[in-house]
Amino acid sequence: MESSTRPAPKDTGLSPGTRSSMLGLMLIAPTVLVFCAVIVYPLISAIYLSLFSIYTPTMEGDWAGLSNYKVLIQSGEFWRSFGNNLVWTVGTLTLQIVFGILVALVLHQNLWFRSLARSLVLFPYFLSTVVAVLVWRWLFNDLYGVLNHFLMWTRIIDMPIDWLGTMPNAMISMILVGAWKYFPFVVIAVLARLQTIPDELYEAATIDGAGPVARFRDITLPQLREVLVVIILLRTIWDFKEFDLIYLLTGGGPVISTQTLPLMVYKEAFALNQMGSASAVAVMMMLFMLVFMFFYLRKAED
Amino acid sequence: MSGISVQGVSKSFGDVQAVQAMDLEVAEGEFVSILGPSGCGKTTLLRMLAGLEFPTEGQISIGGQVVNDKSPADRDIAMVFQSYALYPHMTVAGNIEYPLKKRKVPKAEREERIRQAAAMLKLEDLLGRKPRELSGGQQQRVALGRAVVRDPAVFLMDEPLSNLDAKLRSHMRAELIQLHRRIGRTMIYVTHDQLEAMTMSDRIAIMHEGALQQLATPKEVYARPANAFVAGFIGMPPMNLVDAKLDGDGNLSVFGRQYRFVASDGPGHSGEQTVKVGFRPEDVVLRDDGEAARVAIVEPTGHEVIVVFEIDSARIVGRVSPELDLKADDQVRLAPRVERIHVFSGTDGDRLGGVHSEG
Ligand SMILES: Nc1ncnc2c1ncn2[C@@H]1O[C@H](COP(=O)(O)OP(=O)(O)O)[C@@H](O)[C@H]1O
Ligand SMILES: [Mg+2]
Repeated sequence: MESSTRPAPKDTGLSPGTRSSMLGLMLIAPTVLVFCAVIVYPLISAIYLSLFSIYTPTMEGDWAGLSNYKVLIQSGEFWRSFGNNLVWTVGTLTLQIVFGILVALVLHQNLWFRSLARSLVLFPYFLSTVVAVLVWRWLFNDLYGVLNHFLMWTRIIDMPIDWLGTMPNAMISMILVGAWKYFPFVVIAVLARLQTIPDELYEAATIDGAGPVARFRDITLPQLREVLVVIILLRTIWDFKEFDLIYLLTGGGPVISTQTLPLMVYKEAFALNQMGSASAVAVMMMLFMLVFMFFYLRKAED
Repeated sequence: MSGISVQGVSKSFGDVQAVQAMDLEVAEGEFVSILGPSGCGKTTLLRMLAGLEFPTEGQISIGGQVVNDKSPADRDIAMVFQSYALYPHMTVAGNIEYPLKKRKVPKAEREERIRQAAAMLKLEDLLGRKPRELSGGQQQRVALGRAVVRDPAVFLMDEPLSNLDAKLRSHMRAELIQLHRRIGRTMIYVTHDQLEAMTMSDRIAIMHEGALQQLATPKEVYARPANAFVAGFIGMPPMNLVDAKLDGDGNLSVFGRQYRFVASDGPGHSGEQTVKVGFRPEDVVLRDDGEAARVAIVEPTGHEVIVVFEIDSARIVGRVSPELDLKADDQVRLAPRVERIHVFSGTDGDRLGGVHSEG
């Protein structure tokens, strides 16, 4: 029947199963090649570089074995940066999630300004980081910043506050700006999920005697669980390796009070010209992320 | 006392009048179906009973108490949704337990009642499963279980069987009838399927374009439709409706044959008017002195044959015995059974009466 409409397969001496698995290999080959070129190669070369003591401008240097790592693990700056990285990530992520869910819940209501508000809320996310940070630095400025001016005018404070030059203000400001910049992502993802929860679930719960709080806890939250797992995973990775916002806002300062690991990588590589030790920091960062993802995904599964 | 009383209830959504001046009295323990074509306002009426939608006009009482201002939770009702609306992240037991939990029923009693409901609906083996691990019929039973476990005064069901396949549907019909017998609660059952309404209900409320057409027993609805809409809606295939003339003396002529009109079960008539004469397919009989007709379509169903006859340009559907062995283009003579002729107004379609004799 079929052989009349389709040429018979050439006899290559291979069984049909082998032929089709070879076709499969051919089909995934481009993906594998691209994956290797853009992910595996940089990864391996970073690990490779981290084993040398390399002077960045010439990219030359001697075999150093694990000594870059040894130095790192004994250095206060590395652990301080790691700690900063954790504070920044947990702080900004928590605010993003809380704000994101709240705003999504508000925007999910039938408000007359809903469609306008939905577009406006995306604004910080669309804004280029450079522009956003410049605006915030201007707002935060201790001499002519609008924020200090407003707070003094309303007599909430009577001395200008140094928002970015002292601790813990610098870290708090950074966390707030991060939350402001990235909460729209949470809003959009949560809102999309909220819209797919059938009204009948809420109606059934209402009839079953659940009030608004119980409906949120028993219907909305469990339905949001899966999307929150994804949001937290993605945002943790992105926030953990955030560079431009921090670099532009505080530059890691005062001194290294807000320096995170990505800033340390940059500093080691281009300010101190130590490409090897910069690579070691980057590899350590990746290990931290892998450990986090391993435990997080295992926990999220049950 | 947990009957339902609906008085002059209307509901509009903007320009759409979903339910119009509805009156409905349902006795305690009665099984009443709300039947009508899609979009006629059945769901809206049911949701108003549940308190999920508020009437624009009129009053709703449950158990002798006006509930217009009461929240769904305080109306002592349970609702079974067409989509079942099971809580997806809770187990079967969790779903059934939820209404009890929200009503602060003590744990020991909750467990006992879940056990009883599960036994009644044969859910014992499924209690630990999540809804997505259940078949449609099982989900349906869980939805019923969640309603039954509360022992509410009134059950409201919105097309609960419409997502099931035909075989399961007829099985669940029987189960629902049994359930109703066992618990004896008032049930309001929305459906667009006349078979469900006819087989399960004590009474049927037939709706059309938001308005109640007839509220009567299945037998009554079939034997004495209140208007031409009901006549044409109930019955498979539906009643034949043909235009006819009724003169001032009560003489009715159908296909050139004369009948005497009788207003025995209708408001009667006044003067000459055009009317609609109705008779069911099973009341079409072949007789030698009948009207000449041509057989147009023959549809055998096994134990009977549905035949479409043509008289001039009018089409008449008949239900005849396979033994007649009719074929397309056969010429026959037919007439409606006299005592089964219905007469409806030609203008508003209301039932006027029947006929009592020929000539
Ligand atoms: N929330 C609503 N908003 C606007 N129109 C509605 C709404 N609910 C129902 N309707 C309209 O009311 C009419 C009756 O709907 P419904 O009660 O769902 O009919 P049924 O259940 O008999 O199919 C339909 O015309 C429908 O479009
Ligand atoms: Mg409906």
